[in-house]
Amino acid sequence: MSSMIPTMRHVRGFDVARPLSIGMLVLMMLPLVFLPLASIFLFGTSQGLTSFMESLTAPEAVFALKLSMVTSFWATLFNVIFGLFAAYVLSRYNFWGRNALIVTISLPTAIPTAVAGFALLLLWGPYGTLGRFLAPHGIQTMFTAGAIILANIFVTFPLAFGVIKPVFDTMSRSLEEASATIGATRVQTFWHVTLPSLRGAIVSGALLTFARAVGEFGSTILVSGNLAGRTQTAPLYIFAKFNEGQIEAANAIAIVLALFSFLIFSVLFFARDWLDVD
Amino acid sequence: MRKRIFSRPALICGALTSLALIAGCLPQPTSDKGGLNITVYGFSIMKESLEKAVYPGFAAKWKREHGVDVNFTSSFAGSETITNQILQGVSADIAILSIERDASRLKDGGFVTSDWRTLPNKGILNKTPFVILVRQGNPKGILDFTDLAKAGVRLIHPDPVSSGGAQWSVLAMYGSELVKSERQSGGQNKELALQTLRAIWRNVISTPGSAREARTQFETGFGDALVTYELEGLLMKETGKTPLEVVIPKATIFSEHPAVVIDRNVSAAKRPVVDAFMQYLWSDEAQKAFVKFHYRSGIDPTLNQENKHLAQIETEFTIDYFGGWNRAYPEIIEGIFRDQVQRK
Repeated sequence: MSSMIPTMRHVRGFDVARPLSIGMLVLMMLPLVFLPLASIFLFGTSQGLTSFMESLTAPEAVFALKLSMVTSFWATLFNVIFGLFAAYVLSRYNFWGRNALIVTISLPTAIPTAVAGFALLLLWGPYGTLGRFLAPHGIQTMFTAGAIILANIFVTFPLAFGVIKPVFDTMSRSLEEASATIGATRVQTFWHVTLPSLRGAIVSGALLTFARAVGEFGSTILVSGNLAGRTQTAPLYIFAKFNEGQIEAANAIAIVLALFSFLIFSVLFFARDWLDVD
Repeated sequence: MRKRIFSRPALICGALTSLALIAGCLPQPTSDKGGLNITVYGFSIMKESLEKAVYPGFAAKWKREHGVDVNFTSSFAGSETITNQILQGVSADIAILSIERDASRLKDGGFVTSDWRTLPNKGILNKTPFVILVRQGNPKGILDFTDLAKAGVRLIHPDPVSSGGAQWSVLAMYGSELVKSERQSGGQNKELALQTLRAIWRNVISTPGSAREARTQFETGFGDALVTYELEGLLMKETGKTPLEVVIPKATIFSEHPAVVIDRNVSAAKRPVVDAFMQYLWSDEAQKAFVKFHYRSGIDPTLNQENKHLAQIETEFTIDYFGGWNRAYPEIIEGIFRDQVQRK
């Protein structure tokens, strides 16, 4: 305990470092995060609430938001299931090429999203490696909602995996072994023993994936065709409206997405503790 | 005690997931209201005239004559951008392009098999001169393209890689010098034109992807000047949001915009309505609509008198001054602009 005293000394009484550092933190975040976000809200509502609501309820805006939610949902569903599976395989078995696989799964984090977009075009496009065999049969994947889902899957590939795998790695195997000794099958053990302890990781992995997919822009602009009311997601809608000079319309949707990510990350912040308490 | 597998949070998550599953079906396209659907890819500035006048005009006409609804879906971006999208396979029925070079690229790619030059006015839908937009009061004293080279002028200029308007602008600035020197001394002073272009390009602070993106940047307060289609300046004046002046250069180019059918994508069933729409584009009704939105009609110049805002151009030239796009692109956009201006 005696070693604690010197370090405690300067926090006795009023600690000036506390308000100073908190103030400094907020001050630093002000021009970098708070003010840019605030200006979206200020601009979006500057024309009055009716014009804001009008921008929000425009059929193409509503469509864009729906399309973003749906495509992100399917990408999330896939990536969570995949992430779970990949984490299971890669933390349970040791095999030749295992590290290479782990690195490959993580790659999309660092690859520019535009590269993800044109990689998909090169594969599925009419002259693409696969696309050229599909095109004569009238099968077209690019410039459809399917293309948006593929792009979302690619760019959010490592997220759920990245959250789930560490939990797998640190999980005690004694419970699973106990389960096996009392005669449970692999599936039963996974379902009743392994999965419940991964709940928190699965939910946060899913939210993270979903949030990232909803905000995806760089790859979607290349693979979707950007048709308003047909293949235009919410971020593309914002970009298109901004380019057209309809900044109020762009802002309304930007506000929705900003609030949405605030919601997701709030849930993320509280959900893990909540879910891990059984 | 038996460990509960489905605790409260897990149940809630399950419920949410099944909810999402039900909601997980794709939304109905907004244009899918029954009837025919035409997909148009247009270069950036076509949006207003098409969506506010030409589409409704044609839909009403077709409904009157055939009793069937026609819906339009469109996407607008730089001319080169939409051309690349079509070459990659987007399901466009019609493309309205800023530059004929892009029509040729679509033809070379096998997407356009008909000859657009057999359409009315050699396939040129409308035209407009290139002008300079400056802030109100013209604080930098810009009266001609050469003034854009003055020290301290900050110019917004779209990117010729993705924007057809940007290529027109380069041709306008370069050609303007050639025309003027030819008038003064009887011969084109190519060296002077190159030096001017270089000096102007040094003042460029941003190269947005399309003419419309460039306009938005200018509208949000960036830059002292913007070289663009005349109609952009007039549309901006109409909205009145950004106080500005339109400067008419002494000699400038008229951009000419072709419309083409993407034959490869048009099904036999859709062919009649697509062809009818193409014919409609050159009709009096549509051409008048374009003039209302400050384009100029090439097929019937008398229509242009109805728009009092269109400026008088002292000396005008077209792509023919450079020998057409087949020569202008390799010689000026690549040979002069890309190799000797941008890379210097």
